[in-house]
Amino acid sequence: MKSWLTQHTQALKLVLRRFKANLLNTLFICLAIGVTLALPSIMYTVLSSLSGLANNVKSESQISVFLSADQASGTATSIKAALEKNAVVKSFKFVSKEDALKQLETATANNNVLSSLEQNPLPDAFFIAPKNLDAASVESLKNELAKLEGIEEIVVDGAWIKRLNYLILIGQKAMVIITSLLGFALVAVIGNTIRMQILTQQAEIELSQLIGATKSFIRRPFLYLGALYGLIGGLFALLITYAVISVFNQSLNTLAREYQTDFSINLPDITSGSVVCLLSLIVGLVSAYFAVSKSLFKNIN
Amino acid sequence: MISFDNVTKRYPGSHEALTNVSFTINQGELVYVTGHSGAGKSTLLKLMAAIERPTTGTVLINNQNVSKLKSGTLPYVRRKFGLVFQDHKLLYDRNCYHNVALPLSINGITGQDAGKRIRAALDKVGLLDKEKAMPITLSGGEQQRLAIARAVVSRPSILIADEPTGNLDRVYAADILQLFNAFQQVGVTVIIATHDALGNSQNEHVSSKILHLNQGRLVKAEVAA
Repeated sequence: MKSWLTQHTQALKLVLRRFKANLLNTLFICLAIGVTLALPSIMYTVLSSLSGLANNVKSESQISVFLSADQASGTATSIKAALEKNAVVKSFKFVSKEDALKQLETATANNNVLSSLEQNPLPDAFFIAPKNLDAASVESLKNELAKLEGIEEIVVDGAWIKRLNYLILIGQKAMVIITSLLGFALVAVIGNTIRMQILTQQAEIELSQLIGATKSFIRRPFLYLGALYGLIGGLFALLITYAVISVFNQSLNTLAREYQTDFSINLPDITSGSVVCLLSLIVGLVSAYFAVSKSLFKNIN
Repeated sequence: MISFDNVTKRYPGSHEALTNVSFTINQGELVYVTGHSGAGKSTLLKLMAAIERPTTGTVLINNQNVSKLKSGTLPYVRRKFGLVFQDHKLLYDRNCYHNVALPLSINGITGQDAGKRIRAALDKVGLLDKEKAMPITLSGGEQQRLAIARAVVSRPSILIADEPTGNLDRVYAADILQLFNAFQQVGVTVIIATHDALGNSQNEHVSSKILHLNQGRLVKAEVAA
């Protein structure tokens, strides 16, 4: 256990010493990794903020159920009972046609038009907030409600939200593709850097093998190197993401105020930040492993 | 300690570097491997140090059959040897101290313990004051001594040197051979390859074994008084 620990601290110290010796080079490599990772990370942040916005608006959205004008007297009560039993309904509000008319009167300046009407043209209505907001469950709830009697029309609010959701979906697909492409680029960049490092240390590696170094002893510092490149690159990516989003948020806030809303892109929190760092660390480690296995032990045993 | 039995080594696409070589080296012996260049001396040393495996025949090192060992255990066998290479193989990107430190770090020895042993080894070869010097600034003889310091720092029981006096003038060469004799006297098995058949002429008072190779065959194995 102790020797295991010594071996690892030894390798880590060695790597850090080399980092210090080639500080500028190391920084540039990490920066390249950071820029590569920043793009998907920014995309992810923007998309998750947008889909948060969509969810937010949707939770205010409702299914409006308008009852037919010539309904039987008990219809409203029976629908009410059905809604209360329904598990996917979060809450609902009943607005009778009298209430609706009163609301309209207060909202409209020109009362003459309304008072000139012979009878109340408005129907009784239920406004339902569903529990699940995704398109499929809203659709199935709508179909369920359509089976009830005495209903004239069911209107699902927010067609534009649907469209926004599709746009977000397309964005997410693009993000996945870009992330995987850039992931490959990252593996190539880190792998090549490690291969260069191996070349500059060829003499030491060869000698070490001759005087009894195990493969893992030789491999270990390079694995640490890859992991550290990944980790520092991930931190750079976060910094870039923070900077870019902060810059955009200023203008977005001004724009959102014009629409009387309050919207800004959320900066990555600790969880997503650590996920970015961890992922890039793993990518670094894996690409280092491949680079080392491919080019290190070609000419021994 | 080291025993060869009918060992043949053939490199791919080449003639036999060694043919049917058999001998035994005991603990604490001083052994000269002699012969012209191309006679197979280096190959013999590589087989001894478990760097190469024989094509046929058996190489026993401390009763372990090298051909039968898994490649994962070979590094541990190699650690028993101190190697002085024909081309020194010094690392020019670090100073003398760190050159000597490499075998210790491979053995997992670091820190103060390592420091003491590194300085002891440098002291033994007379380079203690060059601890911080870069190898490139050393003379040929000093570089050779640094290579020896690196070979002995992990206190191996067998010291193998390939042409250690190859490019040195007589005075330096005698110096280096003296150093090897000193190690042999404290119980280390010392094996030296030299193309100079008279390489041991200055050390007639030391009993030694000579393995003379000619075109890959062992033509003479004698014990000089």
